[in-house]
Amino acid sequence: MLDTPAQTSVLSLDCAQLTTRELNQRLKALATEGIPAVRILNPEGRHNVAVGLTGPIQVTIEGSIGYYCGGLADGPTLEILGSSGWSLGENLMNGQILVRGNASACAAASAHGGRVIVLGNAGPRAGISLKGATLVVLGNVSYSAAFMMQAGRLIIAGDAGPNLGDSMYQGEIFVGGELTSLGADACETEITDSDWQTLEQELLPWGLDPHSRSFKKIVCAGELYHFKAKDWSKWKDAY
Amino acid sequence: MCGIAGMIGFTSERRATLGQQLVQVIEPLEGRGPDSCGVGLYTAAVAPDQWKLMLQGDVTLAWSRVADWLATQVPLHQWDGVSEGCYRAVIGIPDRPADAFKHALRQAFPGLHIPSAGRSLEIYKEVGSASQLDRRVNLSQRPASHGLAHTRMATESVVNTDHAHPFSAGLDLAIVHNGQISNYHKLKYALERRGVVLETENDSETIAHYLHLQLTLGFSLEAALAQLLKDFDGTYTILVATSEKLALVRDRYAAKPAVVYEKPDQVVIASEYHCLTHLPSFDRGATLIEPDAAEILVWSVTTGRPAALALSPASV
Repeated sequence: MLDTPAQTSVLSLDCAQLTTRELNQRLKALATEGIPAVRILNPEGRHNVAVGLTGPIQVTIEGSIGYYCGGLADGPTLEILGSSGWSLGENLMNGQILVRGNASACAAASAHGGRVIVLGNAGPRAGISLKGATLVVLGNVSYSAAFMMQAGRLIIAGDAGPNLGDSMYQGEIFVGGELTSLGADACETEITDSDWQTLEQELLPWGLDPHSRSFKKIVCAGELYHFKAKDWSKWKDAY
Repeated sequence: MCGIAGMIGFTSERRATLGQQLVQVIEPLEGRGPDSCGVGLYTAAVAPDQWKLMLQGDVTLAWSRVADWLATQVPLHQWDGVSEGCYRAVIGIPDRPADAFKHALRQAFPGLHIPSAGRSLEIYKEVGSASQLDRRVNLSQRPASHGLAHTRMATESVVNTDHAHPFSAGLDLAIVHNGQISNYHKLKYALERRGVVLETENDSETIAHYLHLQLTLGFSLEAALAQLLKDFDGTYTILVATSEKLALVRDRYAAKPAVVYEKPDQVVIASEYHCLTHLPSFDRGATLIEPDAAEILVWSVTTGRPAALALSPASV
């Protein structure tokens, strides 16, 4: 169903009237046409919405969404006026995804580029295998965030759960609240002036002054890049 | 993958339609597991000196002989045909523990399955869809205080009624499980050394028997679940029900999903959020939480969740 509500000129697509495949095909067609913005009504936790969407279209999802929302997308701006299920923005190539509520497990998993912002909390494995995107969480993150992260940036304004940055290769993590525990080969390093500038850039737009928190910076220690027999216990504990 | 759901009604209105609501919540989860469906309902309890036995099997089974066998062992108070190949017996309490009695009955009638025994628990399960199960055993017409539901995608064992969830052990104890138990064989041997007879090759069956053993040893359900987190490897979100409680436990990696919907008149736990929107009374303003890794939540079916077990701040 495609209609133009009287109160606004923004096009809307109603999930109640469309299968996921129809919805994504309509979205893709609208993006190709160069339509600037579209609203998605009645999402009701639907999975796989706006997957593989390319181009600069702005999509507002009016409610909570299911798994893989915005996955593989390249260029769109997504705003979710609710919470999201697992694997939000998985393998995102470019563009921005903003979640007003919470994001469940694996937010921004393997994301190559662009930015994912969660104004609430994020579940386990946020930023798992992050490959270059920026993930900003204003609340807390759960267990094993940034597991095997390869590049990019994870900013956690709140607390981080256990095993943060386990087996990360590269990239950087910033934590503004309590740090429960670091995973294998993750270490704290000195936070620089340019880091503070980055934090200002990323957090001030969402109404948070990074200087109100005592941010710590976590990077890869590089101790596990090459196997050393004396590190057996570290390898044993890494999974 | 499997889909799981649990539900408590705190008011007579919510309890009147609990069977129907469980079907409404589990059916949209069939995408997570379409091969079998099962529901465990805690319905009106029989007298303290009686047990309810749920019996399932092939239509060709000599059902009158099953009733005769029961009557030779215990007083047979009631014998109802629920549907073809599904019977409910109300019996006097036998001279043996529930699992030994169930085992003896199974030995006497190969092909007979006894999904549950207890004062209030009734488990209905079979290969096929939720709507098919509902049509066959009329779940929508069954009021209950609380219950569990499961839609299965078999990963480790065969697809048949015996291997479908919920699993039960002892009396009035039921579990549904989404995930895999990776130290299944060790647990199986440990349980067998303590006299447990496992009826299937489904890894989830060990959960029911493990918890029954812990409860028999005198541990609380909360303590038993804390010990389960230490003893069970693998991935799991497990829902457990007894006649007084409904509980959830999530593995240490939070590998399998769960969403909890809480209202003063109702608690619903389900694998995914979207199935909750199918509740006729769905309220967008209800408390919605995702339990954290290694989190245990326990609700009393009369008074809800005690404040002492409130969520950790990392939960979303």
